[in-house]
Amino acid sequence: MSRSALITGIGFITSIGNDAATVSASLRAGRHGMAVHPLCDNPDVAIKVAAPVREFFVDSPSWRDWTWPERYELPRETLRSLAPHGVYAFCAFEQALADAGLTKSDLGDGATGLFCASAGSPFMLHHHLAQAHFSQFERGNPMGVVSSIAGTLNFNLAAHYGITGAVTGFVSACASSSHALGYALDEIRLGRQDRMIVVGAEELNADTLLPFAPMRALSVNPDPATASRPFDSARDGFVGTGGAVVLIIEEASLARRRGASAYAELVGWGQASDGHSVATSHPEGAGLRKAMKRALRDAVATPAQIDYVNAHATSTPIGDRAEAHALRAVFTDAGAHPVVSGTKGLTGHGLSMAGAMEAGFCALALREGWIPGNPHLVHPDCACGGLNLPRETLSVAPSLILNNSSGFGGSNVCHVLRKV
Amino acid sequence: MAQENTPLSPVTSKPQKSCPLAKFPNEVRDAHARFLAAADVDALDIVVLAIVRDHQPAQARAATPEALPDSSRLIGDLGFDSLALAEIVFFIEDLYGVSISNQELLNITTVGELRGFVRSKVSAVRLSQKSPAN
Repeated sequence: MSRSALITGIGFITSIGNDAATVSASLRAGRHGMAVHPLCDNPDVAIKVAAPVREFFVDSPSWRDWTWPERYELPRETLRSLAPHGVYAFCAFEQALADAGLTKSDLGDGATGLFCASAGSPFMLHHHLAQAHFSQFERGNPMGVVSSIAGTLNFNLAAHYGITGAVTGFVSACASSSHALGYALDEIRLGRQDRMIVVGAEELNADTLLPFAPMRALSVNPDPATASRPFDSARDGFVGTGGAVVLIIEEASLARRRGASAYAELVGWGQASDGHSVATSHPEGAGLRKAMKRALRDAVATPAQIDYVNAHATSTPIGDRAEAHALRAVFTDAGAHPVVSGTKGLTGHGLSMAGAMEAGFCALALREGWIPGNPHLVHPDCACGGLNLPRETLSVAPSLILNNSSGFGGSNVCHVLRKV
Repeated sequence: MAQENTPLSPVTSKPQKSCPLAKFPNEVRDAHARFLAAADVDALDIVVLAIVRDHQPAQARAATPEALPDSSRLIGDLGFDSLALAEIVFFIEDLYGVSISNQELLNITTVGELRGFVRSKVSAVRLSQKSPAN
């Protein structure tokens, strides 16, 4: 295809930093964002560790109680219809725009689209429904629906920024923002849009995270330093996080014409479904294996050309093992040995946000010339035999990176990013 | 980072309420207390106008004179949309424990009409209830 896409702006509100410089420093130093952070005040709840976002207070169902860093000007008329994760997304959006050298006035000509991903806000929905039931549905927050249902990000951000191009949301659980980014690339390649803004965000509270506990998907390890340890044989589940990441991708010739500085080129993507289980990965990672191959084919790349794989690797026993099998099938069996790491060991798992967040990490690594390691890995799972899983960050400049994501129902999405 | 997490109530129970005027200036909270204590309707006006101000979109607020004229139309002059009007009504309902019907809401188009309506509505029930805000 003749049209290609550059990543020209990124905004980060994450457990390991609220701007690109801090995020990069955390990744390079192997600094994690976990803390002992109980999500409800019941001491009998087994989940003790989470990876909170700092500098924000959004734990109340009333926006009047919320606080965010003063450097962001968030007007009341926008705030009133946001969920907590919408506040993160707004701040990350402002960062990404400034980073790309754009302003709100550049977004309204129909050539810019917006693809978002979040689970919505079970927290806001819970409170909205409690109020509505109590008043026999006579009264309640008029913004209760648009602040809580899946889609709240695209409703709010499109209205606030006056975006008139393609606007929608993606729902494939932990592959959601990866789908958003993949389809955003297609919008540009197909000539439908010149610029796409991709948003992944989630909030960290009891309603969003703790329903994963009865699935036995969460780590019950009380030690923040080891609770998230992708690929380690002692891993026992994922650690939850919230935040928002915004990526701006632009058609390459237009980006160059306006003098935008690019992090990386988004050169391809692929997806495939396991068609196997509603909630767990295929034991051999069948769909992920196919998705990786499709992404490589789309990017016209061979396994040997990939320098680094940012694995989905959430630190769950089943998921990491399935991914290790898929990675060995695609790379080791082809004689390729890219560096593999799971940055969720540092950030925790951001659910819908994860794919966009990790694409952002890959873009930083490509621009700055390093590869993140696996600092919490002590004894690799036996399924990882043959995989190149360094502990430390490598001062090696990657040229081509594969970014993996997998979601419920066996949805698997992979992106390929190239150094520019 | 604040670590306070309040436990969630079951979906069918009454939601928790904090003081609706907690973030308002002291003079507004004082006026609210004055109205509750002594039925001072001038004090009630101060509260109502502050609520209108608080719900106004930022850009429109910057372009509006400090003293809101009675003739200002809420939708049109002050930048409100119908959802923001509903927010104002629910806010006043919560603050004074009154119930405002949709028909009554449709009759309110200006600041003056809102002030007058709240005066008559709230004064009528003031003595029969305790303030949820104090």
